[in-house]
Amino acid sequence: MKRILLYFVVLLVLVGCAEKDEFEHDQVGNFEALWTIMDEHYSFFDYKQVDWNEVHSRYRARVSNEMTDRELFDICGTMLKELRDGHTNLIATHDVSRYWVWEQWPVNYDERIIDQHYLNFDYMRSSGIKYQILPDNFGYMYYGSFSSEIGEGNLDLILSYLSTADGLIIDVRDNGGGMLTNVEKLVSRFIEGKTLAGYICHKTGKGHNDLSEPYPYYFEPAKNHIHYLKPVVVLASRGSFSATNNFVSIMKGLDQVTIVGDTTGGGCGLPFTSELPNGWRVRFSSCPIMDAQGRLTEFGVAPDVRVDMDENDRTRDAILDTAIDILTQKTKNQ
Amino acid sequence: MKSRILILLVVFGSLLLIALPASAHPDEAPEGVSMFMVDAGYASIHDSYLTPITYDGIDLGLAYEASRVCKQGRWQWQLNVGADYNYVENPAKNNDLMKLMGDLAFNMQRRWAVTGRMSLTAGPMTQLRAGIVYNDVNSNNPVTVRAHWNVGVAAGADLHTRLWRKPITLRYQVQLPVAGVFFAPEYDESYYEIYLGNHKNLAHLGWWGNRLDMTHYLGADLHLGKVTLRLGYRTRLEHWNVNHLKVHDVTHSLVLGIGH
Repeated sequence: MKRILLYFVVLLVLVGCAEKDEFEHDQVGNFEALWTIMDEHYSFFDYKQVDWNEVHSRYRARVSNEMTDRELFDICGTMLKELRDGHTNLIATHDVSRYWVWEQWPVNYDERIIDQHYLNFDYMRSSGIKYQILPDNFGYMYYGSFSSEIGEGNLDLILSYLSTADGLIIDVRDNGGGMLTNVEKLVSRFIEGKTLAGYICHKTGKGHNDLSEPYPYYFEPAKNHIHYLKPVVVLASRGSFSATNNFVSIMKGLDQVTIVGDTTGGGCGLPFTSELPNGWRVRFSSCPIMDAQGRLTEFGVAPDVRVDMDENDRTRDAILDTAIDILTQKTKNQ
Repeated sequence: MKSRILILLVVFGSLLLIALPASAHPDEAPEGVSMFMVDAGYASIHDSYLTPITYDGIDLGLAYEASRVCKQGRWQWQLNVGADYNYVENPAKNNDLMKLMGDLAFNMQRRWAVTGRMSLTAGPMTQLRAGIVYNDVNSNNPVTVRAHWNVGVAAGADLHTRLWRKPITLRYQVQLPVAGVFFAPEYDESYYEIYLGNHKNLAHLGWWGNRLDMTHYLGADLHLGKVTLRLGYRTRLEHWNVNHLKVHDVTHSLVLGIGH
Protein backbone atom coordinates (compact mmCIF):
# COMPACT_ATOMS: atom_id res chain seq x y z
CA MET A 1 0.00 0.00 0.00
CA LYS A 2 2.89 2.34 0.85
CA ARG A 3 4.40 1.69 -2.56
CA ILE A 4 1.16 2.56 -4.27
CA LEU A 5 0.89 5.78 -2.30
CA LEU A 6 4.50 6.65 -3.11
CA TYR A 7 3.87 5.98 -6.80
CA PHE A 8 0.81 8.19 -6.70
CA VAL A 9 2.67 11.04 -5.00
CA VAL A 10 5.53 10.86 -7.53
CA LEU A 11 3.11 10.93 -10.45
CA LEU A 12 1.21 13.85 -8.97
CA VAL A 13 4.42 15.83 -8.63
CA LEU A 14 5.28 14.99 -12.24
CA VAL A 15 1.86 16.00 -13.48
CA GLY A 16 1.35 18.95 -11.22
CA CYS A 17 4.31 21.01 -12.31
CA ALA A 18 3.00 23.84 -14.43
CA GLU A 19 5.37 25.18 -17.06
CA LYS A 20 7.65 27.91 -15.73
CA ASP A 21 8.08 31.00 -17.88
CA GLU A 22 11.57 31.60 -19.14
CA PHE A 23 11.90 35.30 -18.34
CA GLU A 24 11.79 37.43 -15.24
CA HIS A 25 8.87 39.81 -14.91
CA ASP A 26 11.07 42.88 -14.44
CA GLN A 27 12.18 45.46 -17.03
CA VAL A 28 15.33 43.57 -18.02
CA GLY A 29 13.37 40.33 -18.26
CA ASN A 30 10.80 41.95 -20.53
CA PHE A 31 13.51 43.40 -22.75
CA GLU A 32 15.20 40.02 -23.00
CA ALA A 33 11.87 38.35 -23.76
CA LEU A 34 11.21 40.79 -26.61
CA TRP A 35 14.68 40.39 -28.07
CA THR A 36 14.47 36.58 -27.83
CA ILE A 37 10.99 36.37 -29.36
CA MET A 38 12.22 38.36 -32.33
CA ASP A 39 15.48 36.40 -32.48
CA GLU A 40 13.62 33.10 -32.66
CA HIS A 41 10.63 34.06 -34.82
CA TYR A 42 11.41 37.03 -37.07
CA SER A 43 12.04 35.90 -40.63
CA PHE A 44 13.89 38.73 -42.43
CA PHE A 45 17.14 39.21 -40.48
CA ASP A 46 19.37 38.04 -43.31
CA TYR A 47 17.28 39.58 -46.08
CA LYS A 48 17.56 42.96 -44.34
CA GLN A 49 21.12 42.33 -43.19
CA VAL A 50 20.34 43.12 -39.56
CA ASP A 51 22.86 41.87 -36.99
CA TRP A 52 20.43 41.15 -34.18
CA ASN A 53 23.16 40.28 -31.66
CA GLU A 54 24.79 43.63 -32.25
CA VAL A 55 21.38 45.28 -31.78
CA HIS A 56 21.04 43.44 -28.46
CA SER A 57 24.34 44.67 -27.11
CA ARG A 58 23.58 48.25 -28.12
CA TYR A 59 20.09 48.40 -26.61
CA ARG A 60 20.61 46.13 -23.60
CA ALA A 61 23.14 48.62 -22.25
CA ARG A 62 20.32 51.19 -22.03
CA VAL A 63 17.92 49.01 -20.03
CA SER A 64 17.74 48.79 -16.25
CA ASN A 65 15.16 47.56 -13.79
CA GLU A 66 14.82 51.07 -12.38
CA MET A 67 13.40 52.58 -15.57
CA THR A 68 9.69 53.31 -16.04
CA ASP A 69 7.41 51.37 -18.38
CA ARG A 70 7.32 54.28 -20.81
CA GLU A 71 11.11 54.49 -20.89
CA LEU A 72 11.38 50.77 -21.51
CA PHE A 73 8.70 50.98 -24.21
CA ASP A 74 10.56 53.74 -26.02
CA ILE A 75 13.80 51.75 -26.04
CA CYS A 76 12.08 48.57 -27.18
CA GLY A 77 10.10 50.41 -29.86
CA THR A 78 13.24 52.06 -31.18
CA MET A 79 15.02 48.70 -31.23
CA LEU A 80 12.22 47.20 -33.34
CA LYS A 81 12.53 50.05 -35.85
CA GLU A 82 15.97 48.68 -36.70
CA LEU A 83 14.07 46.00 -38.64
CA ARG A 84 12.44 48.55 -40.98
CA ASP A 85 9.25 46.53 -40.95
CA GLY A 86 5.72 47.92 -41.07
CA HIS A 87 4.38 44.66 -39.69
CA THR A 88 6.43 44.93 -36.52
CA ASN A 89 4.75 46.66 -33.61
CA LEU A 90 5.08 46.68 -29.87
CA ILE A 91 1.61 47.08 -28.39
CA ALA A 92 1.18 48.40 -24.86
CA THR A 93 -1.81 49.97 -23.17
CA HIS A 94 -0.43 53.48 -23.67
CA ASP A 95 1.07 53.26 -27.18
CA VAL A 96 1.85 51.22 -30.30
CA SER A 97 5.37 51.43 -31.69
CA ARG A 98 5.51 51.37 -35.48
CA TYR A 99 7.63 51.68 -38.55
CA TRP A 100 5.13 52.78 -41.15
CA VAL A 101 6.97 53.56 -44.33
CA TRP A 102 3.95 55.25 -45.86
CA GLU A 103 4.16 57.99 -43.24
CA GLN A 104 7.43 59.08 -44.85
CA TRP A 105 6.34 59.08 -48.50
CA PRO A 106 3.86 61.08 -50.59
CA VAL A 107 0.29 60.02 -49.83
CA ASN A 108 -0.65 60.00 -53.52
CA TYR A 109 -4.31 59.61 -52.74
CA ASP A 110 -7.08 62.07 -51.94
CA GLU A 111 -10.55 60.64 -51.66
CA ARG A 112 -12.19 64.06 -51.80
CA ILE A 113 -10.69 64.89 -55.23
CA ILE A 114 -12.07 61.66 -56.70
CA ASP A 115 -15.47 61.98 -55.06
CA GLN A 116 -15.90 65.58 -56.15
CA HIS A 117 -14.15 65.85 -59.50
CA TYR A 118 -14.52 62.33 -60.96
CA LEU A 119 -17.57 60.79 -59.35
CA ASN A 120 -19.53 63.98 -58.69
CA PHE A 121 -20.45 62.41 -55.33
CA ASP A 122 -22.46 59.85 -57.25
CA TYR A 123 -21.29 56.33 -56.49
CA MET A 124 -22.43 53.04 -54.99
CA ARG A 125 -20.86 51.13 -52.13
CA SER A 126 -20.97 47.42 -51.38
CA SER A 127 -18.71 45.07 -49.38
CA GLY A 128 -16.43 47.99 -48.60
CA ILE A 129 -16.05 48.74 -52.33
CA LYS A 130 -17.00 52.11 -53.76
CA TYR A 131 -17.82 51.84 -57.49
CA GLN A 132 -19.15 53.73 -60.45
CA ILE A 133 -18.70 54.08 -64.22
CA LEU A 134 -16.71 57.18 -65.11
CA PRO A 135 -17.78 59.50 -67.98
CA ASP A 136 -15.16 57.91 -70.27
CA ASN A 137 -16.99 54.58 -69.83
CA PHE A 138 -14.33 53.08 -67.62
CA GLY A 139 -15.33 51.39 -64.41
CA TYR A 140 -13.87 52.59 -61.13
CA MET A 141 -13.64 50.57 -57.90
CA TYR A 142 -12.09 51.83 -54.70
CA TYR A 143 -11.34 49.19 -52.08
CA GLY A 144 -10.01 50.85 -48.93
CA SER A 145 -9.29 47.83 -46.74
CA PHE A 146 -8.85 44.12 -47.29
CA SER A 147 -10.32 43.74 -43.81
CA SER A 148 -13.74 44.58 -45.32
CA GLU A 149 -15.22 41.19 -46.07
CA ILE A 150 -16.07 40.79 -49.75
CA GLY A 151 -19.31 38.93 -50.36
CA GLU A 152 -19.28 36.85 -53.56
CA GLY A 153 -22.84 37.96 -54.32
CA ASN A 154 -21.95 41.60 -53.74
CA LEU A 155 -18.94 41.26 -56.03
CA ASP A 156 -21.20 39.70 -58.69
CA LEU A 157 -23.49 42.73 -58.52
CA ILE A 158 -20.56 45.16 -58.69
CA LEU A 159 -18.90 43.46 -61.66
CA SER A 160 -22.24 42.97 -63.37
CA TYR A 161 -22.86 46.71 -63.16
CA LEU A 162 -19.34 47.48 -64.40
CA SER A 163 -19.41 44.85 -67.15
CA THR A 164 -20.51 47.38 -69.77
CA ALA A 165 -17.42 49.50 -69.11
CA ASP A 166 -14.58 49.24 -71.64
CA GLY A 167 -11.95 48.94 -68.92
CA LEU A 168 -11.72 48.90 -65.16
CA ILE A 169 -9.67 50.85 -62.64
CA ILE A 170 -9.14 49.14 -59.28
CA ASP A 171 -7.92 51.69 -56.78
CA VAL A 172 -6.16 50.21 -53.73
CA ARG A 173 -4.19 53.27 -52.75
CA ASP A 174 -4.03 53.88 -49.00
CA ASN A 175 -5.32 50.35 -48.43
CA GLY A 176 -3.30 49.12 -45.44
CA GLY A 177 -4.16 45.45 -45.97
CA GLY A 178 -6.32 42.93 -44.19
CA MET A 179 -7.31 39.37 -44.96
CA LEU A 180 -5.51 37.40 -47.64
CA THR A 181 -8.70 35.44 -48.30
CA ASN A 182 -10.19 38.66 -49.68
CA VAL A 183 -7.20 38.95 -52.03
CA GLU A 184 -8.06 35.53 -53.42
CA LYS A 185 -11.74 36.43 -53.78
CA LEU A 186 -10.92 39.55 -55.76
CA VAL A 187 -8.14 38.13 -57.93
CA SER A 188 -10.27 35.08 -58.83
CA ARG A 189 -12.57 37.40 -60.82
CA PHE A 190 -9.76 38.49 -63.15
CA ILE A 191 -8.18 35.18 -64.11
CA GLU A 192 -9.22 32.61 -66.72
CA GLY A 193 -7.37 29.56 -65.43
CA LYS A 194 -5.41 28.23 -62.52
CA THR A 195 -2.83 30.92 -61.79
CA LEU A 196 0.38 30.78 -59.78
CA ALA A 197 -0.12 33.50 -57.20
CA GLY A 198 3.22 33.14 -55.44
CA TYR A 199 5.08 31.17 -52.82
CA ILE A 200 4.77 31.04 -49.08
CA CYS A 201 7.16 29.68 -46.48
CA HIS A 202 7.55 29.72 -42.72
CA LYS A 203 10.14 29.35 -40.03
CA THR A 204 10.81 25.76 -39.08
CA GLY A 205 13.04 26.47 -36.09
CA LYS A 206 14.68 29.14 -33.99
CA GLY A 207 17.64 29.82 -36.30
CA HIS A 208 17.50 32.93 -38.48
CA ASN A 209 17.69 30.83 -41.65
CA ASP A 210 15.44 27.97 -40.54
CA LEU A 211 12.89 28.46 -43.31
CA SER A 212 10.75 25.89 -45.08
CA GLU A 213 10.88 25.26 -48.81
CA PRO A 214 8.74 27.92 -50.55
CA TYR A 215 5.34 26.40 -51.21
CA PRO A 216 3.70 27.46 -54.50
CA TYR A 217 0.09 28.48 -54.15
CA TYR A 218 -2.43 28.93 -56.91
CA PHE A 219 -5.69 30.77 -57.35
CA GLU A 220 -8.55 29.35 -59.40
CA PRO A 221 -11.14 31.41 -61.31
CA ALA A 222 -14.27 31.90 -59.23
CA LYS A 223 -16.70 29.22 -60.35
CA ASN A 224 -20.21 30.30 -61.33
CA HIS A 225 -19.44 33.95 -60.67
CA ILE A 226 -18.99 36.99 -62.87
CA HIS A 227 -15.50 37.68 -64.22
CA TYR A 228 -14.00 40.81 -65.75
CA LEU A 229 -11.41 40.09 -68.43
CA LYS A 230 -11.15 43.45 -70.22
CA PRO A 231 -8.16 45.78 -69.62
CA VAL A 232 -7.60 46.62 -65.95
CA VAL A 233 -5.45 49.25 -64.27
CA VAL A 234 -4.59 48.90 -60.57
CA LEU A 235 -3.74 52.12 -58.73
CA ALA A 236 -1.18 51.73 -55.96
CA SER A 237 0.61 53.92 -53.47
CA ARG A 238 3.04 53.56 -50.58
CA GLY A 239 -0.01 53.15 -48.39
CA SER A 240 -0.83 49.91 -50.24
CA PHE A 241 0.56 47.60 -47.61
CA SER A 242 0.54 43.95 -46.53
CA ALA A 243 -2.41 42.08 -48.14
CA THR A 244 -2.72 44.96 -50.63
CA ASN A 245 0.95 44.57 -51.51
CA ASN A 246 0.18 40.89 -52.09
CA PHE A 247 -2.83 41.77 -54.27
CA VAL A 248 -0.78 44.16 -56.40
CA SER A 249 2.05 41.64 -56.81
CA ILE A 250 -0.40 39.01 -58.10
CA MET A 251 -2.36 41.38 -60.35
CA LYS A 252 0.91 42.65 -61.84
CA GLY A 253 1.52 39.19 -63.27
CA LEU A 254 -1.75 39.17 -65.24
CA ASP A 255 -1.53 40.09 -68.94
CA GLN A 256 -4.46 42.50 -69.03
CA VAL A 257 -3.38 44.41 -65.90
CA THR A 258 -1.21 47.54 -65.60
CA ILE A 259 -0.04 48.89 -62.24
CA VAL A 260 0.01 52.69 -62.02
CA GLY A 261 1.10 55.05 -59.25
CA ASP A 262 3.82 54.60 -56.65
CA THR A 263 5.68 51.56 -55.32
CA THR A 264 3.56 49.75 -52.76
CA GLY A 265 4.42 49.87 -49.07
CA GLY A 266 5.61 46.26 -48.97
CA GLY A 267 4.99 44.02 -46.00
CA CYS A 268 5.23 40.54 -47.47
CA GLY A 269 5.66 38.71 -44.16
CA LEU A 270 2.50 37.26 -42.70
CA PRO A 271 2.53 38.69 -39.17
CA PHE A 272 2.32 36.59 -36.02
CA THR A 273 1.80 37.92 -32.51
CA SER A 274 3.54 37.04 -29.28
CA GLU A 275 3.71 38.62 -25.85
CA LEU A 276 6.02 39.70 -23.07
CA PRO A 277 5.70 38.77 -19.39
CA ASN A 278 4.31 42.25 -18.61
CA GLY A 279 1.42 41.75 -21.05
CA TRP A 280 2.74 43.88 -23.91
CA ARG A 281 2.20 42.23 -27.25
CA VAL A 282 4.59 42.18 -30.16
CA ARG A 283 3.59 41.66 -33.77
CA PHE A 284 6.23 40.70 -36.30
CA SER A 285 6.72 39.31 -39.81
CA SER A 286 6.81 35.57 -39.60
CA CYS A 287 5.88 33.81 -42.85
CA PRO A 288 7.45 35.31 -45.97
CA ILE A 289 5.21 35.42 -49.04
CA MET A 290 6.92 35.72 -52.42
CA ASP A 291 5.54 36.75 -55.78
CA ALA A 292 5.12 34.35 -58.71
CA GLN A 293 8.78 34.85 -59.64
CA GLY A 294 9.86 33.82 -56.13
CA ARG A 295 10.92 37.34 -55.12
CA LEU A 296 10.28 38.88 -51.73
CA THR A 297 8.27 42.09 -51.94
CA GLU A 298 8.99 43.24 -48.39
CA PHE A 299 10.02 46.68 -49.66
CA GLY A 300 7.17 46.97 -52.15
CA VAL A 301 6.05 46.22 -55.69
CA ALA A 302 7.15 48.73 -58.29
CA PRO A 303 4.42 50.06 -60.61
CA ASP A 304 4.49 49.55 -64.38
CA VAL A 305 3.92 53.28 -64.78
CA ARG A 306 5.31 55.55 -62.07
CA VAL A 307 3.22 58.66 -61.41
CA ASP A 308 2.86 61.05 -58.46
CA MET A 309 -0.08 63.28 -57.76
CA ASP A 310 0.46 67.01 -57.99
CA GLU A 311 -0.05 68.18 -54.43
CA ASN A 312 -0.81 71.71 -55.61
CA ASP A 313 -3.64 70.67 -57.90
CA ARG A 314 -6.70 70.02 -55.75
CA THR A 315 -8.92 69.19 -58.74
CA ARG A 316 -7.03 66.46 -60.57
CA ASP A 317 -5.69 63.05 -59.62
CA ALA A 318 -2.68 62.53 -61.90
CA ILE A 319 -2.55 58.81 -61.13
CA LEU A 320 -6.20 58.28 -62.02
CA ASP A 321 -5.79 60.45 -65.14
CA THR A 322 -2.87 58.27 -66.21
CA ALA A 323 -4.99 55.16 -65.71
CA ILE A 324 -7.74 56.63 -67.88
CA ASP A 325 -5.17 57.47 -70.58
CA ILE A 326 -3.78 53.92 -70.49
CA LEU A 327 -7.22 52.35 -70.77
CA THR A 328 -8.15 54.75 -73.58
CA GLN A 329 -5.02 53.72 -75.46
CA LYS A 330 -5.61 50.03 -74.83
CA THR A 331 -9.24 50.10 -75.94
CA LYS A 332 -8.28 52.04 -79.08
CA ASN A 333 -5.73 49.37 -79.95
CA GLN A 334 -8.21 46.53 -79.56
CA MET B 1 -19.80 33.69 -10.54
CA LYS B 2 -23.26 33.11 -9.04
CA SER B 3 -24.68 32.31 -12.46
CA ARG B 4 -21.90 29.76 -13.06
CA ILE B 5 -22.71 28.03 -9.75
CA LEU B 6 -26.41 28.07 -10.65
CA ILE B 7 -25.67 26.48 -14.03
CA LEU B 8 -23.59 23.79 -12.34
CA LEU B 9 -26.41 23.07 -9.89
CA VAL B 10 -28.98 22.86 -12.69
CA VAL B 11 -26.76 20.50 -14.68
CA PHE B 12 -26.08 18.38 -11.62
CA GLY B 13 -29.79 18.27 -10.74
CA SER B 14 -30.70 17.25 -14.27
CA LEU B 15 -28.14 14.47 -14.17
CA LEU B 16 -29.62 13.31 -10.84
CA LEU B 17 -33.04 12.91 -12.47
CA ILE B 18 -31.56 11.03 -15.43
CA ALA B 19 -29.62 8.74 -13.13
CA LEU B 20 -32.51 7.67 -10.93
CA PRO B 21 -33.29 4.30 -12.59
CA ALA B 22 -32.77 1.50 -10.15
CA SER B 23 -29.91 -0.78 -9.38
CA ALA B 24 -30.91 -4.45 -8.94
CA HIS B 25 -29.06 -4.87 -5.66
CA PRO B 26 -29.39 -1.72 -3.60
CA ASP B 27 -27.06 -2.83 -0.83
CA GLU B 28 -24.19 -3.99 -2.99
CA ALA B 29 -21.63 -2.18 -5.07
CA PRO B 30 -22.86 -2.58 -8.67
CA GLU B 31 -20.89 -4.52 -11.28
CA GLY B 32 -20.56 -1.42 -13.37
CA VAL B 33 -21.63 2.19 -13.45
CA SER B 34 -23.28 4.70 -15.70
CA MET B 35 -22.11 8.00 -14.35
CA PHE B 36 -22.53 11.64 -15.32
CA MET B 37 -19.80 13.87 -13.97
CA VAL B 38 -18.98 17.52 -13.62
CA ASP B 39 -15.35 18.61 -13.23
CA ALA B 40 -14.32 21.99 -11.88
CA GLY B 41 -10.89 23.16 -10.92
CA TYR B 42 -7.63 24.73 -11.98
CA ALA B 43 -5.99 24.76 -15.41
CA SER B 44 -2.54 25.83 -16.55
CA ILE B 45 -1.88 26.13 -20.29
CA HIS B 46 1.39 26.65 -22.06
CA ASP B 47 1.27 26.58 -25.87
CA SER B 48 4.31 28.15 -27.48
CA TYR B 49 2.60 28.42 -30.89
CA LEU B 50 0.29 31.04 -29.36
CA THR B 51 2.46 32.61 -26.67
CA PRO B 52 5.63 31.93 -24.70
CA ILE B 53 3.76 32.81 -21.50
CA THR B 54 2.00 30.25 -19.30
CA TYR B 55 -1.65 31.09 -18.63
CA ASP B 56 -3.71 29.81 -15.75
CA GLY B 57 -7.36 29.81 -14.79
CA ILE B 58 -10.33 27.51 -14.52
CA ASP B 59 -11.09 24.05 -15.78
CA LEU B 60 -14.68 22.94 -16.34
CA GLY B 61 -15.79 19.64 -17.76
CA LEU B 62 -18.74 17.41 -18.40
CA ALA B 63 -18.27 13.69 -18.79
CA TYR B 64 -20.12 10.43 -19.00
CA GLU B 65 -18.63 7.13 -17.93
CA ALA B 66 -20.01 3.67 -18.49
CA SER B 67 -18.27 0.57 -17.20
CA ARG B 68 -19.23 -3.06 -16.87
CA VAL B 69 -17.64 -6.14 -15.38
CA CYS B 70 -17.76 -9.14 -17.69
CA LYS B 71 -16.42 -12.68 -18.22
CA GLN B 72 -17.15 -13.85 -14.68
CA GLY B 73 -15.55 -10.81 -13.15
CA ARG B 74 -12.19 -11.24 -14.83
CA TRP B 75 -12.46 -8.28 -17.16
CA GLN B 76 -14.11 -4.90 -17.18
CA TRP B 77 -14.59 -2.36 -19.90
CA GLN B 78 -14.96 1.35 -19.52
CA LEU B 79 -16.13 4.05 -21.90
CA ASN B 80 -15.58 7.74 -21.24
CA VAL B 81 -17.07 10.55 -23.29
CA GLY B 82 -16.61 14.15 -22.32
CA ALA B 83 -15.83 17.73 -23.10
CA ASP B 84 -13.73 20.17 -21.16
CA TYR B 85 -13.32 23.90 -21.30
CA ASN B 86 -10.48 26.00 -19.94
CA TYR B 87 -10.57 29.74 -19.51
CA VAL B 88 -7.14 31.00 -18.53
CA GLU B 89 -5.44 34.39 -18.15
CA ASN B 90 -1.88 35.57 -18.55
CA PRO B 91 0.03 36.71 -15.45
CA ALA B 92 -0.41 40.36 -16.50
CA LYS B 93 -4.20 39.78 -16.49
CA ASN B 94 -4.71 41.60 -19.78
CA ASN B 95 -5.35 38.65 -22.08
CA ASP B 96 -7.05 35.29 -21.99
CA LEU B 97 -7.04 31.98 -23.80
CA MET B 98 -9.87 29.56 -24.28
CA LYS B 99 -9.45 25.86 -24.80
CA LEU B 100 -12.28 23.53 -25.76
CA MET B 101 -11.66 19.81 -26.11
CA GLY B 102 -13.75 16.75 -26.78
CA ASP B 103 -12.68 13.38 -25.48
CA LEU B 104 -13.57 9.76 -26.26
CA ALA B 105 -11.73 6.93 -24.51
CA PHE B 106 -12.25 3.22 -24.18
CA ASN B 107 -10.35 0.68 -22.16
CA MET B 108 -10.58 -3.04 -21.41
CA GLN B 109 -8.94 -4.06 -18.15
CA ARG B 110 -8.11 -7.40 -16.59
CA ARG B 111 -9.19 -7.67 -12.95
CA TRP B 112 -7.21 -9.38 -10.23
CA ALA B 113 -8.80 -9.85 -6.85
CA VAL B 114 -6.16 -9.03 -4.24
CA THR B 115 -8.52 -9.62 -1.34
CA GLY B 116 -12.23 -10.11 -1.16
CA ARG B 117 -12.66 -6.34 -1.13
CA MET B 118 -9.81 -5.10 -3.22
CA SER B 119 -9.00 -5.64 -6.85
CA LEU B 120 -6.35 -4.35 -9.22
CA THR B 121 -7.01 -3.71 -12.88
CA ALA B 122 -4.86 -3.14 -15.93
CA GLY B 123 -5.33 -3.32 -19.65
CA PRO B 124 -5.16 -1.55 -23.00
CA MET B 125 -6.86 1.74 -23.70
CA THR B 126 -7.42 3.96 -26.70
CA GLN B 127 -8.27 7.63 -26.72
CA LEU B 128 -9.36 10.20 -29.26
CA ARG B 129 -9.09 13.79 -28.10
CA ALA B 130 -9.51 16.90 -30.22
CA GLY B 131 -10.27 20.59 -29.88
CA ILE B 132 -8.88 24.07 -30.19
CA VAL B 133 -7.02 26.68 -28.18
CA TYR B 134 -7.99 30.24 -29.06
CA ASN B 135 -6.26 33.55 -28.42
CA ASP B 136 -8.32 36.35 -29.94
CA VAL B 137 -5.65 39.08 -29.90
CA ASN B 138 -3.09 37.27 -32.03
CA SER B 139 -2.83 38.28 -35.69
CA ASN B 140 -2.24 35.25 -37.92
CA ASN B 141 -1.71 32.73 -35.13
CA PRO B 142 -4.96 33.18 -33.16
CA VAL B 143 -5.83 29.54 -32.86
CA THR B 144 -4.22 26.18 -32.77
CA VAL B 145 -5.85 22.83 -33.33
CA ARG B 146 -5.23 19.98 -30.94
CA ALA B 147 -5.98 16.47 -32.10
CA HIS B 148 -4.53 13.15 -31.13
CA TRP B 149 -5.39 9.51 -31.18
CA ASN B 150 -3.39 7.13 -29.09
CA VAL B 151 -3.22 3.74 -27.48
CA GLY B 152 -1.80 2.93 -24.11
CA VAL B 153 -2.56 1.39 -20.79
CA ALA B 154 -5.19 1.97 -18.16
CA ALA B 155 -4.71 0.65 -14.69
CA GLY B 156 -6.32 1.06 -11.33
CA ALA B 157 -7.27 -0.26 -7.96
CA ASP B 158 -10.75 -0.65 -6.44
CA LEU B 159 -11.46 -1.06 -2.78
CA HIS B 160 -15.01 -2.00 -1.77
CA THR B 161 -15.83 -1.06 1.78
CA ARG B 162 -18.60 0.58 3.79
CA LEU B 163 -19.20 4.07 5.05
CA TRP B 164 -22.15 4.78 7.33
CA ARG B 165 -23.23 1.19 6.58
CA LYS B 166 -23.49 2.02 2.91
CA PRO B 167 -21.30 0.35 0.30
CA ILE B 168 -18.59 2.59 -1.01
CA THR B 169 -16.00 1.99 -3.71
CA LEU B 170 -12.69 3.78 -3.45
CA ARG B 171 -10.96 3.93 -6.73
CA TYR B 172 -7.68 5.06 -8.23
CA GLN B 173 -7.23 4.97 -11.97
CA VAL B 174 -4.55 6.10 -14.37
CA GLN B 175 -4.75 6.37 -18.14
CA LEU B 176 -1.34 6.46 -19.73
CA PRO B 177 -1.15 6.66 -23.52
CA VAL B 178 2.00 5.10 -24.89
CA ALA B 179 1.96 5.83 -28.61
CA GLY B 180 -0.29 7.47 -31.14
CA VAL B 181 -0.68 10.07 -33.82
CA PHE B 182 -1.15 13.75 -33.24
CA PHE B 183 -1.49 16.98 -35.18
CA ALA B 184 0.93 19.88 -34.92
CA PRO B 185 1.83 22.62 -37.40
CA GLU B 186 5.46 23.41 -38.02
CA TYR B 187 7.24 25.94 -35.79
CA ASP B 188 5.79 29.17 -37.25
CA GLU B 189 3.58 27.70 -39.93
CA SER B 190 0.38 29.66 -40.44
CA TYR B 191 -2.96 27.96 -40.75
CA TYR B 192 -3.35 30.06 -43.91
CA GLU B 193 -0.53 28.08 -45.49
CA ILE B 194 -2.25 24.87 -44.44
CA TYR B 195 -5.47 26.22 -45.98
CA LEU B 196 -3.54 26.91 -49.19
CA GLY B 197 -2.74 23.22 -49.36
CA ASN B 198 0.63 22.68 -47.68
CA HIS B 199 -0.09 19.64 -45.53
CA LYS B 200 3.48 18.46 -45.08
CA ASN B 201 4.67 17.39 -41.66
CA LEU B 202 1.40 17.98 -39.83
CA ALA B 203 0.84 14.46 -38.49
CA HIS B 204 3.33 13.16 -35.96
CA LEU B 205 3.94 9.83 -34.38
CA GLY B 206 3.61 10.37 -30.65
CA TRP B 207 5.60 8.41 -28.09
CA TRP B 208 7.10 9.16 -24.71
CA GLY B 209 10.08 10.81 -26.36
CA ASN B 210 7.97 13.67 -27.72
CA ARG B 211 4.64 13.36 -26.02
CA LEU B 212 3.38 12.47 -22.57
CA ASP B 213 -0.27 12.41 -21.56
CA MET B 214 -1.58 11.21 -18.25
CA THR B 215 -4.90 11.26 -16.52
CA HIS B 216 -5.15 10.29 -12.88
CA TYR B 217 -8.35 9.88 -10.97
CA LEU B 218 -8.78 9.25 -7.27
CA GLY B 219 -12.25 9.12 -5.80
CA ALA B 220 -15.08 7.42 -4.04
CA ASP B 221 -18.39 6.07 -5.29
CA LEU B 222 -20.99 6.04 -2.56
CA HIS B 223 -23.79 3.61 -3.37
CA LEU B 224 -27.03 4.89 -1.92
CA GLY B 225 -29.57 2.33 -3.00
CA LYS B 226 -30.63 3.20 -6.50
CA VAL B 227 -28.19 6.04 -6.87
CA THR B 228 -24.42 6.23 -6.83
CA LEU B 229 -22.76 9.50 -5.90
CA ARG B 230 -19.19 10.18 -6.88
CA LEU B 231 -16.70 12.52 -5.32
CA GLY B 232 -13.19 12.55 -6.68
CA TYR B 233 -10.15 14.36 -7.89
CA ARG B 234 -8.84 14.24 -11.43
CA THR B 235 -5.60 15.57 -12.81
CA ARG B 236 -4.67 15.61 -16.45
CA LEU B 237 -1.35 16.32 -18.13
CA GLU B 238 -0.85 16.97 -21.81
CA HIS B 239 2.75 17.59 -22.74
CA TRP B 240 4.41 17.49 -26.13
CA ASN B 241 7.45 18.86 -27.80
CA VAL B 242 7.68 18.68 -31.58
CA ASN B 243 8.81 21.04 -34.38
CA HIS B 244 10.38 23.20 -31.64
CA LEU B 245 6.87 23.85 -30.34
CA LYS B 246 6.03 23.05 -26.76
CA VAL B 247 2.71 22.35 -25.10
CA HIS B 248 2.38 21.75 -21.39
CA ASP B 249 -1.18 21.75 -20.04
CA VAL B 250 -2.13 20.67 -16.55
CA THR B 251 -5.52 20.53 -14.84
CA HIS B 252 -6.47 19.67 -11.26
CA SER B 253 -10.19 19.25 -10.74
CA LEU B 254 -12.78 18.22 -8.27
CA VAL B 255 -15.15 15.64 -9.73
CA LEU B 256 -18.79 15.37 -8.77
CA GLY B 257 -20.82 12.59 -10.29
CA ILE B 258 -24.13 10.89 -10.14
CA GLY B 259 -25.25 7.66 -11.70
CA HIS B 260 -26.25 4.15 -11.01
